[in-house]
Amino acid sequence: MDTTTNDLNMNLFDRVLDKLCLTPIGLAGLILLLILPFIPPFNQEYMLRWLIYCGFIAAMSVGFDFTAGFINIVNFGYMAVAGTGGYTSALLVLNAGLSPWIAMLAGGVSSAILGLVIGMISLRLRGIFAACLSWFFGLAVMGLAIKMVWLTRGPLGLRVPRLFETESNFPFYFLIVILVYLTYLICKWVVRSKMGLAFQAIGQNMDAARTSGIDPVFYRVFNFTMSCAIAGVLGGFYAHFYGILTPDMMHTSKTVEVLAVAYIGGRGSLWGGAVIAFPFIFLMEIVRSTLSHLPGLNLVIYALVLILVMIYYPGGFSYFYDTHIRQPKNRALRYFLNGRDA
Amino acid sequence: MLLEVKNLNAGYGYLQILRDVSLHIDKGEYVGIVGPNGAGKSTTMKTIAGLISPMSGSVVFNGEDITGLSGSAVAKKGISFVSEEMNLFVNMTVQENLYMGAYTIKEKHLQNERLEFVFELFPRLAERRKQLAGTMSGGERKMLAIGRGMMSNPSLMLVDEPSFGLAPQLTTSVFASLEVLIKTGVTILLVEQNVTKTLAVTGRGYVLENGKIGLEGKSADLAEDSYVKKVFLGV
Amino acid sequence: MSKHNMSVTLTWLKTAPGLSIVISIAVAVAATIDAGPYLLVNMVVTGGMLALVATGLTLMLGVLNIPMFAHGEYFMIGSLTAYYIFTPISEFILEHPDSWLVTFGPFIAIIGALIGGAIAGVISEKLVFGPLRRRSTDNWVMNSFLLTVGVSVLLINLHQLIFGADFKGIVGYWQGMPISIADVYVSKDRVMSFLISAVIVALFYLFMTYTRTGMAIRAVSQDITGAEIVGIDIEKIVLLTISLACALAAVAGGSLLFMYPSYPTVGLEPLYMAWFVVILSGLGNILGAVAGAFMVALLKVITMEYVGAGWDFVVPSALIMLILIFKPSGIFGSDVRGVLDK
Ligand SMILES: Nc1ncnc2c1ncn2[C@@H]1O[C@H](COP(=O)(O)OP(=O)(O)OP(=O)(O)O)[C@@H](O)[C@H]1O
Ligand SMILES: [Mg+2]
Repeated sequence: MDTTTNDLNMNLFDRVLDKLCLTPIGLAGLILLLILPFIPPFNQEYMLRWLIYCGFIAAMSVGFDFTAGFINIVNFGYMAVAGTGGYTSALLVLNAGLSPWIAMLAGGVSSAILGLVIGMISLRLRGIFAACLSWFFGLAVMGLAIKMVWLTRGPLGLRVPRLFETESNFPFYFLIVILVYLTYLICKWVVRSKMGLAFQAIGQNMDAARTSGIDPVFYRVFNFTMSCAIAGVLGGFYAHFYGILTPDMMHTSKTVEVLAVAYIGGRGSLWGGAVIAFPFIFLMEIVRSTLSHLPGLNLVIYALVLILVMIYYPGGFSYFYDTHIRQPKNRALRYFLNGRDA
Repeated sequence: MLLEVKNLNAGYGYLQILRDVSLHIDKGEYVGIVGPNGAGKSTTMKTIAGLISPMSGSVVFNGEDITGLSGSAVAKKGISFVSEEMNLFVNMTVQENLYMGAYTIKEKHLQNERLEFVFELFPRLAERRKQLAGTMSGGERKMLAIGRGMMSNPSLMLVDEPSFGLAPQLTTSVFASLEVLIKTGVTILLVEQNVTKTLAVTGRGYVLENGKIGLEGKSADLAEDSYVKKVFLGV
Repeated sequence: MSKHNMSVTLTWLKTAPGLSIVISIAVAVAATIDAGPYLLVNMVVTGGMLALVATGLTLMLGVLNIPMFAHGEYFMIGSLTAYYIFTPISEFILEHPDSWLVTFGPFIAIIGALIGGAIAGVISEKLVFGPLRRRSTDNWVMNSFLLTVGVSVLLINLHQLIFGADFKGIVGYWQGMPISIADVYVSKDRVMSFLISAVIVALFYLFMTYTRTGMAIRAVSQDITGAEIVGIDIEKIVLLTISLACALAAVAGGSLLFMYPSYPTVGLEPLYMAWFVVILSGLGNILGAVAGAFMVALLKVITMEYVGAGWDFVVPSALIMLILIFKPSGIFGSDVRGVLDK
């Protein structure tokens, strides 16, 4: 294999991979995800349902990390934002007869607007207080969904048409895998551009960023709006997959689930949460269903993992990967793990 | 010997600042450390005071090994540290700050005796005893920090840059108060920017450069030393 | 002289705390006249409970810089402890109606809750916060916050796993006729729960203001290096603060067991209401937290009365967001970033 690794020498494959923000191992993982539903036992419908949920959390954790890992603000109402997108989409389909596909995008727009508002009013607040504000926002939105019974049917829930008119979960699974990847790709593109540097500068030290000419207002609001738009589209997927939408999906405990996956995966990596979500959430679902006489056990494990990671390994899985796995001696293996560095 | 520091290596995280610093102070002495900015003077003080744990070396106080003890444990042994940043309790009154300085003293009447003593030394603090420390002027805060350091009736006081940011007049009065302390039998280790002044008031001195002790000796001799004259006094 | 006092009072009225206190009192009086005195009673009982939880939260945030997300779970621990202590006592009372336990049994349960909370706090410090502090203090606020999120999920689900998800409540603590206060009949339990919280908050305030240890806690909150220099044992103060803060939440849970039966997520509502209080009253000042507690309680009670049950998610969050937009330091927040002072 050629050892000189400058841009000209990169072959087409490497260049495409690089544009797609993938490494060979990433590509392999993606392919694995795509053939997974054909491999027993994963080809059973109930397992697919779990995998779809894994995919949903994975995509959400990428969007969450886009804010938490870069501008260092925890959007504690993230699921409520997703729920807003879900409800908007569902209501548009039910009341205006829109196609679910278009409605999903409209859901994204409505969540983006919500994100814009949260982003603007949390501007004057720092770190933890901005988190509180988004939390209260989430509580308020959830409260509205519960109380506006004439529109949302409250806790009874809305029956929502599904995206594909089939009983099978297969198409949904492929769709969510694509959504996970798209979410990752879009976020990665943005943070790879010079905007990503600005985000990190703001996240680390707002005042220093300001004195070096970075306008924190624009970047913070942009970041918030974008990650909320992502949540909105994903919320639409959620609604049109499960076919029933209750205010419960906006609950803080759901946000905590996303947050835990994002942090266990590794903050600021974008891919960490997405990678961890599949095995982790899947295992939790197994625990939950096989030990159903012990309700809550899966969440106990969940919490323990989060606590242990926060104390002993705050960098999460991506940090572990970068420091211990990424640089093996073997050259081929190294290429497999890192791709050709541009 | 009241304090003996031997081959002290210390720093912040992996960053080593002090290299084999050794110094000693006898009871009742008035000793100064001078050196350029960033030499590690404050780091030396913080390490003795227990705010930084040393990488190696030892600190022996009153014949007792206090290396690596926490700041509060060191304070209880009778060492009081007046830091460069002062570290006052900004939302407490002057009087409350002073009482906190006597935290290691349990008996109320002893605390009050110390309070009287400090108020005598700094009448300005007595006038402002009800004022919040955070609202005091820079010079007043410096006085308060020194006053608080005296409250615990320490046998050794580590004073870091007491005159920093003070007008010449106040500087004189701060030095005068340290002089009073020496007369009452307190031992003082002083760090100062003002080299002439420090070498004038102290009995013995150390010159610290790049984390190492360069010179040591009688302050009067150091003041006459050609190297010190060239580097610090610009003569 | 009196003229001078008048003008001082007038300028105070124009400040944010003055205005909001006066408006709150006016609203409380008007609502009481309009809807009946029970509204006032509810406000006072809820406010007393909130004052306890919120001072604990303030303490954690002010002294240890931990934005507690798990504070409601200590409320839950308190109510659970009180339940398991009081259930056998009430059985005993049924058989021996003349026993001294009729009067003192409830106190045993409530004090048990207090002790239970304190012990839970100590355990949390030893197992969770202490290890994190010893490992690293970079990005402490965010990391400790995420850690408390984990603790919250853990405690909620441990409760479910061990004690089940059903309501564990009691009929009442003190039997007998309601007490008549100015022609309004108020149940003994409500009166007692208010008295208990009033006494505890007052004791806590005196403790923080006048005792050596209380002053040491304040000193740590204002300048931790300064505190160490004067010989305050930081580890001890930290442990004491955590156990105090948790005990305050637990005693609120214990004394309100007759209103809020214990179940896994019982702490969620006190938690976010206490966060409302903390944000409303600005960081760390005890009297502000107490005033803020009664304001939030008033807001909740009035919303329930005039807008409807369930809206108490929405209206207070909306109002708090408004306050945050216009006054990010809270109504009582002082400009000096000091904590736990008058
Ligand atoms: N908390 C810290 N973390 C990392 N490095 C530090 C820290 N505090 C000080 N330093 C570094 O240690 C070195 C010595 O600092 P120190 O404060 O001891 O100097 P100094 O002799 O007191 O200087 P000055 O006369 O300016 O007060 C400096 O290079 C400084 O940048
Ligand atoms: Mg210094």
